[in-house]
Amino acid sequence: MREVILFGVLITTYLMVIAKRVPALIRSFRYQSFFIFLATLFTGFAEKQVDLCFIALLILLLKVLIIPRVLSQVAKKISVDQGLGLFVNAQLSLLVAFILTYLSWIFSGALGFSRDYRLAAITVAFSVILIGAFLMVSRMKAFTQVTGLLVMENGVFLFASFVSGGMPFFVEIAIFLDVFVSVIIMGLFVYRINKLFTHIDVNKLSRLKG
Amino acid sequence: MQIFVILSIPVLLALAALFIKKQKVYGVANSLGYLVVLSEAILLFRNIVLSGSLKLCGNFIYLDVLSVFFIFVISVVAFAAALYSIGYINKDIHKGMVSEKKAKVYYVLFNLFCFSMLFVPALNNLGMLWAAIEMTTLISAFLVGFYNSKESVEAAWKYIIICSAGIILALLGTILFSYAFSISGLSKSLNWSDMVPVAHILDKNILKIAFIFVLVGYGTKAGLAPMHTWLPDAHSQAVAPISALLSGVLLKTAIYAILRFGIIVIKGVGFAYFAHLMTLLGLVSLVISCGFILVQKDLKRLLAYSSIEHVGIIVIGFGLGSPLAIAGAAMHVLNHAVAKSIMFFGAGNIVSAYKKHNMNAIRGVIEAMPFTGVMVLMGVFALTGFVPFAIFVSEILIVISAFTNGSYLTAALLLLFLSVIFGAFIYHFGKMLFGNLPKAMAITGEPLSGKLAFLFLFSLTLALGIVFPFIKKDILWIAQKLLPV
Repeated sequence: MREVILFGVLITTYLMVIAKRVPALIRSFRYQSFFIFLATLFTGFAEKQVDLCFIALLILLLKVLIIPRVLSQVAKKISVDQGLGLFVNAQLSLLVAFILTYLSWIFSGALGFSRDYRLAAITVAFSVILIGAFLMVSRMKAFTQVTGLLVMENGVFLFASFVSGGMPFFVEIAIFLDVFVSVIIMGLFVYRINKLFTHIDVNKLSRLKG
Repeated sequence: MQIFVILSIPVLLALAALFIKKQKVYGVANSLGYLVVLSEAILLFRNIVLSGSLKLCGNFIYLDVLSVFFIFVISVVAFAAALYSIGYINKDIHKGMVSEKKAKVYYVLFNLFCFSMLFVPALNNLGMLWAAIEMTTLISAFLVGFYNSKESVEAAWKYIIICSAGIILALLGTILFSYAFSISGLSKSLNWSDMVPVAHILDKNILKIAFIFVLVGYGTKAGLAPMHTWLPDAHSQAVAPISALLSGVLLKTAIYAILRFGIIVIKGVGFAYFAHLMTLLGLVSLVISCGFILVQKDLKRLLAYSSIEHVGIIVIGFGLGSPLAIAGAAMHVLNHAVAKSIMFFGAGNIVSAYKKHNMNAIRGVIEAMPFTGVMVLMGVFALTGFVPFAIFVSEILIVISAFTNGSYLTAALLLLFLSVIFGAFIYHFGKMLFGNLPKAMAITGEPLSGKLAFLFLFSLTLALGIVFPFIKKDILWIAQKLLPV
């Protein structure tokens, strides 16, 4: 079961890498969050922790339902073209993503974990974090920066639930609150950028230099 | 109990901002509130130094010398910024740059920002610490983008994206710390006070990796090079009192977080690992900031790069680790906050009078604004470590301990870059302060509240510098409690 979930997370991450338009990106993000929800729920059942099950429901509510909806609402309101503006084309991006996965496999092997599901979980978590960062720097539209951040966060959550058995309850709640607020605030700033610059291409935000 | 007063005053003031109509009345109330916060912080500092650490609210709040010291530094700058805000915001309203309604928003955000910063050092739980630091980013992003111009929104966007991405790595580091804690067979906990006593039995490899993530993550927020790229933009675009808060204390809260994890790593892995990483990042920050300071054309960006330099010095000081160096680094946290606030307030007055950031277009400040001009001149000397001022003391302590530790290369590089930066500052500010006044400039005065803020900070940095030789023993004694190496 664990392997299926990890596989799902990895595949949805690759789907995000080859997405060329905003709706596809948000949809894949929703699928990825769903697998993170499954991962947390699974750990919650396996370790018999009610806390973790509750956290999993929170993930379902926030990351699968609310945040993707907020994002697509913002995308709809800003009637710029729906392309993501790829600096690196989809095929090459996928190749980079594979390389990042391989690197994180080497890295987690070097950390000295035993060769059980943990090694796979750490590999997937690190590659999700790295691919999230790659998405942030290789796409033009401000949207992808927000989504890339959320993807990195998903990687960290996967790490937390599969490897270290979750964080203390209140910490998780506080982190969720932060994630939610940050998405709202970033959405507001995307609005403002669109209003002031009439585009959301972050590569054209280059007034401040030196 | 002082901590509850300190934490509740900003919240109450934020609420009051919504109801008090008159701008000036509120401004005065705001500064009085922060005066109370400052005096409570001093009392708290004294109590904790004398009676040792304190746990409150079922382990939720943990106060030791390190945390109350940072609370004290934050309240000093917050008080000065509250004073300076009265005149500054009033001027902006008169010029029509912000409406009365927006001024209210400013005060609400100002107080929430101060609250989130004061909250950071009081927390025991490392996960909550992360959440609180992320909160400071989210609130201050609005204050960076406050004027809603193209430049300021761009700066705010870069700030929020780069700092959030950085801080996710810090979250990963935090989770790795908790993982190291959980595989050692102890119960799951992220409380700092639970982790330190057992630090020596935690897995060394995982601690090492975790600390790198924490250092890169919180280092982004602290403005350590090469993760500093958001900093010059945000500091140059924020409202002037907020620039002082960002540079003076926001960076220090991230350094506080690094130190908290650093103490666990020192106990678990050994001091050398911590020291190497800190010194390396500190030196890189010095080199990079020095280059940008030399060729800088924008006044507020110059000050922002100088913040990177001073953060580098602080980190080197903590990395050296002898009691003398820690005393120097801790004093530098305070001294830099004070001196840099003087400079940012001065820059705020200059920019609002000349309406330009470009240093080539600013001439004859002393003639145009005698008070600000003199204060900025003194501020330059204070910031670059001239003799009677406090930064001289803290810098010389760090250099001396670098020599006595045998890290001659670090000491030599420190001295080299400090002198180059000194020269660059005198060059830039000499032209600005003493050049010929542009013809169209009228001679203007400063509001009383602004003057008070300057005088408060100036006398603080001067007094610390002069008094230091007499209280050297006490400061060393406190420094030993600060970072138990």
